[in-house]
Amino acid sequence: MMRALRVILPIGLFAALIWFWGWAVEHWRIPPFILPPPRAILEVFVNDAQSLLGSAWTTFGITATAFVLAVVSGTALATLFASSRLAEAMLSPYAVTLQVTPIISIAPLVIVWVGLDQAWLAVLILAWISAFFPVLASATAGLKAVDPNLRDLFRLYRASFPQTFRRLLVPSALPYLLAGIKTAGGLALIGAVVAEFAAASGNTNGLAWRILEAGNRLQIAKMFAALILLALMGILIYAVLSFIEWLLLHRWHGDTRSRA
Amino acid sequence: MTHELQLDRLGKTFQNGTPALDEISAHIGAGSFVALLGPSGCGKSTVLRLIAGLDEPTRGRVLWPSGRAALGFVFQDPTLMAWASATRNVSLPLDLAGRPAPEARARALTALEKLGLGAFAESLPRELSGGMRMRVSIARALVASPDVLLMDEPFAALDEFTRSRLNEDLLRLWAERGFTGIFVTHSVFEAVYLAQRILILGGRPGRLVADLTNPAPYPRGRDYRTSAGFNALAREILDVLEGVSG
Repeated sequence: MMRALRVILPIGLFAALIWFWGWAVEHWRIPPFILPPPRAILEVFVNDAQSLLGSAWTTFGITATAFVLAVVSGTALATLFASSRLAEAMLSPYAVTLQVTPIISIAPLVIVWVGLDQAWLAVLILAWISAFFPVLASATAGLKAVDPNLRDLFRLYRASFPQTFRRLLVPSALPYLLAGIKTAGGLALIGAVVAEFAAASGNTNGLAWRILEAGNRLQIAKMFAALILLALMGILIYAVLSFIEWLLLHRWHGDTRSRA
Repeated sequence: MTHELQLDRLGKTFQNGTPALDEISAHIGAGSFVALLGPSGCGKSTVLRLIAGLDEPTRGRVLWPSGRAALGFVFQDPTLMAWASATRNVSLPLDLAGRPAPEARARALTALEKLGLGAFAESLPRELSGGMRMRVSIARALVASPDVLLMDEPFAALDEFTRSRLNEDLLRLWAERGFTGIFVTHSVFEAVYLAQRILILGGRPGRLVADLTNPAPYPRGRDYRTSAGFNALAREILDVLEGVSG
């Protein structure tokens, strides 16, 4: 009963809201350039499917690439930090500075540097910067959270660094790293969208550009359509990463049944 | 093959300047079972870490007259890899030494069976009880047939029943395998039950305050725990400890 309600209630609420939206637009005669009816948004999806999906694909491609780059580079730098305190002392202030500087304020500079004709590269760099830090921070925390006794045990058996890395550091850090990776997935998308806004150029051609374009032409229904696609993309990224986390961790990290 | 070792005026001052150990000198014979006994904070664990080479002494040294021994170490916590099965945990020393995987696995299974955990070979640590986890930890320490087994209050967190069962298992394994056993504990009764020789540490920084021999023969059954000899030795140790803290 409770389980059925958990599914039925959100869907029911969604249907009710959509119905009320359509009713309200008609009843109060809200002009479509303020709030289009749901039907108009559906029409945009059908009529402009090709350009919307093309843009979604562009944004998704850049987000995914930035995300993969962030995971690889963040983990690599965290490993360097874990193996050398000197490297951490030297580099971590720069990593933190890069993180706390609002991405939107770096965007114009990055766009100037790479050139507006390569706006996609600027978007990629900015999305990567956004996603990089949570990976670095979580991987560093994870690598530092290794059980000191296990560390001693590996030393006692004269384990080499590659052995210690593969058998101890990676599995110990994995739960932390995966939490950071989940955050990074969302931030890569946010970074990509913010950068596309900042570039404000047809060269980028992503969903954020579609939103700007539709806004300039007062095609509010199209704005909504692009917005919905972005939200769905965010949900998809989160769901896939959560599934990967569950896949890797549920066996040893999941429920804590224990034999007394 | 067992190894003797010599603690030669061993001293340790921590990096923050806290003196942990004064001059500790003792010879530990090959194949003997020695308990390091003393109140918390007297440097027992430090001695063990110095023997294991996990810390460097500030003064003095640990000598191995018959060559550097292969060591096993049992920590106070089971210290298992949460993501690995009991077998994979136990085979770790062999895996790190580069033994072929099938051999490592077979030896790990044998070690687990010796400790009564044959049915739990594929269980993860969280699926085992505290006592079972400690057995896995002991199996891991013994799987590579160490010459010297170092144990740092391994049973302190266990209930009394499990603890005495594991004490009996430990003595059985010692008799079978003939390693040199060094057992850190703050339990007088555990020290008396297990050891041939009891080194009592006390004070801050820790120093050797007594070196007692327990002549009771092995195997020591349950009756030994309630015998007159057991009580007399326990009494003697308690008096020494009283003197140290007073």
